[in-house]
Amino acid sequence: MSKAAIVALFEAMFILSDIRVILRKTAPHHRLGPGEREEVESLIAGLEKQVGVLKRELLP
Amino acid sequence: MKCAGDIEVRAVEEESINIDPIQAGGRLTAAAMKALIAYGDGYSVCDNCRKPNRLDYIKKPPIDRFHRELAEFVGMDVARVVPGARRGFQAVADTYVEKGDPVLVTALSHYTEILAIEARGGIPMEIPASPDNIITPDAAAAKIEEVIAKTGRTPPLLFLDHVDYSYGNLHPVREIAKTAHGYDIPVLLNGAYTVGIMPVDGKDLGVDFVVGSGHKSMAAPAPSGVLAVRNERAGEVFRTTAARTDVTSRTFGIKEVEMMGCTLMGATLVGMMASFPEVRERVLRWDSELANTALVVDALKRIGGTAILSQYPRRHTLTRVDTSQSFDRVAEKHKKKGFFFTSALKDRGITGIIPGATRVWKFNCYGLSRAQAEYVAESFIAIARENGLPVS
Repeated sequence: MSKAAIVALFEAMFILSDIRVILRKTAPHHRLGPGEREEVESLIAGLEKQVGVLKRELLP
Repeated sequence: MKCAGDIEVRAVEEESINIDPIQAGGRLTAAAMKALIAYGDGYSVCDNCRKPNRLDYIKKPPIDRFHRELAEFVGMDVARVVPGARRGFQAVADTYVEKGDPVLVTALSHYTEILAIEARGGIPMEIPASPDNIITPDAAAAKIEEVIAKTGRTPPLLFLDHVDYSYGNLHPVREIAKTAHGYDIPVLLNGAYTVGIMPVDGKDLGVDFVVGSGHKSMAAPAPSGVLAVRNERAGEVFRTTAARTDVTSRTFGIKEVEMMGCTLMGATLVGMMASFPEVRERVLRWDSELANTALVVDALKRIGGTAILSQYPRRHTLTRVDTSQSFDRVAEKHKKKGFFFTSALKDRGITGIIPGATRVWKFNCYGLSRAQAEYVAESFIAIARENGLPVS
């Protein structure tokens, strides 16, 4: 069992949910303000990190 | 894009500003979306169910605590989660209504209240609304007198919608409950449009039962809801089974008859729980929701021939509007007929109004950001101007 892969999987999906809510809050044009832009950058960086964990754990 | 087989992805909320009258308060929080990911499996909350094997005793996830917090949230003593407000109505009707009983509802009651009465063989009797679509204590008293005189029976229950589905009007619950109690008639508050979006305190309002809808107003998946009661009613509505089978002599512990044992056993409950901290906070921001609604309503009022049919100034975000002398006049000559209006809104990324509606329609601005509310208001004005309607 790869506990790290499981954690990364859920973390990644949770981050995607946070991005989903930003899409909703900024609908219909999705023009991001400075704060939202910063938040999305941070979320995407976190997502990439979790995808990296999944690659390392499941595709060594 | 499909999410599975022939099932389209639903991206209405991501693509548009949705002002559908019934969907606004049920949009999920991020926390609820995450909970659904983790708890989508059928009996997912039952991993740690131990004796006495009942939903409201489960500690992990903290369902027991959630039940206590729910009761406190609506100012009552005991709460249960139910699969939608209608199942709350049904549980209370099943407890108190006998065949042939006259049961009080109002001219603005939701149909599921009537069905709950009908299922018991009761007879729904409507308290009429005033010309401005408010249920008044005087009308309630007059109806109670009329029913008692006609049937010789005192109604066992009065169903009262805190805010009605039709106009979004806020009714004088405290005064009506006081009137009903003068005749020993218990009152069920239908808070489907209030519990979870504005502060509700059942004891302060003087009611006996509070019903709320998770999917309508508590940012929860459907079907979900809450039934909360005072201590003195809990033993009746939440009575436990006394059955013993004849062949096997089986008994069923402390399962509650009206709840049919456990109620919400997976994603619906955990979604409701996950949203709850945010829901508890958001009711405190009700004034800003009303301010957003006022912005949109005032924009509509600027369009010549448009009338707001709901209470004004607005005391709720659900609003009924009459545009038969404005947008419907345009529809008479427009090549898209009545669809021009919702089509124009769709072009601007706004959805939720019944396609083709240009006479009397409803919308709900609950949960919009200020920028989104401003955009909706500007869009109504712009559509009016583009179609030659006068704007003040």
